[in-house]
Amino acid sequence: MNADASALSITGLEKRYDDGTLALDGLDLKVPAGEFFGLLGPNGAGKTTLINAVCNLIRVTGGEVSVFGRPATSLEARRMVGLAEQDPNLDRFLTVREALLYHGGYYGLTRRRSAERAEEMIDVFDLRAKADVRAPKLSGGMRRRLLLARALLHQPGLVILDEPTAGVDVELRRELWRYIRRLHSEGTTILLTTHYLEEAEALCEDIALIADGRIVARSTPDGLKRQFGAATLEDVYLKAVAKPAEHEAAA
Amino acid sequence: MNEVTAPQPWRGLLWLAARECLRVSKLWTQTMLAPVVSSILFILVFGLSLGSRIQQVSGFEYQVFIVPGLIAMAMAQAAYSNNSSSIFQARSDRYIDDVLAAPMLPWQMHLGLAIGGVFRAIVIGAALLALAIPLTGVPVEQPVALLAAVALLVALFGALGVVVGVYAETFDHHTFINNIVILPLTFVGGVFYSIDILPSPWQEISHANPLFYLVNAVRYGFLGTTDVSVAISFAVTAAIAAAIVGWSQYLFSTGKRLKP
Repeated sequence: MNADASALSITGLEKRYDDGTLALDGLDLKVPAGEFFGLLGPNGAGKTTLINAVCNLIRVTGGEVSVFGRPATSLEARRMVGLAEQDPNLDRFLTVREALLYHGGYYGLTRRRSAERAEEMIDVFDLRAKADVRAPKLSGGMRRRLLLARALLHQPGLVILDEPTAGVDVELRRELWRYIRRLHSEGTTILLTTHYLEEAEALCEDIALIADGRIVARSTPDGLKRQFGAATLEDVYLKAVAKPAEHEAAA
Repeated sequence: MNEVTAPQPWRGLLWLAARECLRVSKLWTQTMLAPVVSSILFILVFGLSLGSRIQQVSGFEYQVFIVPGLIAMAMAQAAYSNNSSSIFQARSDRYIDDVLAAPMLPWQMHLGLAIGGVFRAIVIGAALLALAIPLTGVPVEQPVALLAAVALLVALFGALGVVVGVYAETFDHHTFINNIVILPLTFVGGVFYSIDILPSPWQEISHANPLFYLVNAVRYGFLGTTDVSVAISFAVTAAIAAAIVGWSQYLFSTGKRLKP
């Protein structure tokens, strides 16, 4: 299926929005299949734009994206990607069970298979008590669980989690970590963005730092610390993404 | 763990269409009951109450004459309103991303999202027909022509709803098009009168109203008579429907307005 063993391969990706903002500036990135990959960067660095480019949610203005060796725009590639977006974008007219069932349908599952998977996800993410409740009536934590359940329902090979633990309590965060780790141990490639550096350090094998629409550093957590002569990942982050600002100040 | 299966875009289309119909069903008092009640009130008030004081129009009792136009108006508004509000809400809350990221072709997403308006319009049209026949005795003289006119009507207004749903920045934009464009053009499109009774230049001006041709195509299906040539009625309606369906498909094919 994937000759180069990359779950995600991005070459020269550029996105310039209609207002002229350059969000991605010729970005190159490869994520090997089966890797737990972290993408860190400040607000506006291009993390969500990059994710949206992989998931066909923006019109890219240059470059190529492929998923398991297939163009990201192809139906085969789309079938292999699961996305949990940063903001809980849940269908307000559907209950928890319906949201999962219909998502499976959109991704081509049969009614029976989609219903089976929906029940599995309801149990895994402890949503049983709210299965017949519509999304607007769910708590923030429940919405996060449902977003993750929906992203995983069609059993994608590449799961993209855009700040999946933003705004959740410590207990739920640890619970989600456990589930994400288990998912990774079963062979799923994970692309995680987060503002919690301890989360990235605890979960990710490989981390890239993005600033101004480009990858500015990439290695293992320990490799990044060595590369930047830093004691913590926070120091690495500050050194790596502070550089452009320092250059501007010096100029 | 990961089950690699081939994409089934047709299945996605059917699920998306089912989701749109489910939304209509869940909101049935607002999406179906209210339009049926208001149209029946028009028939009762304008047709049965005032009809006895108005002489025949184009050879038909007044309460019979107005039924085709009222049904067409209710169906047009239903197809438009449903699709514009459903797509606007999906864009506003961003749950449309779940559809846009799914393994479906652009035309399948477009058709799936548009089906809700078609379903709602047909349910309303069928309910009004079932009530209007015993109330007024309206005939269906040309059933094939009626089906063709209804198909054009739901395609035109369903697609218009999609276009407005994609472009709308606020909910006011959706209601503006309905209240300022569709409703007035339908009213002056000959729903309540034959343009034969209008003085010049209003009779000529009526021919510039695109909805005049749609109302007449539907009226021909019911009554077998129109204010203008049947061929012209269908040709103009089909041309407008094709243009608007093409526009809405263009938005899905290119992603303009749907994707930044």
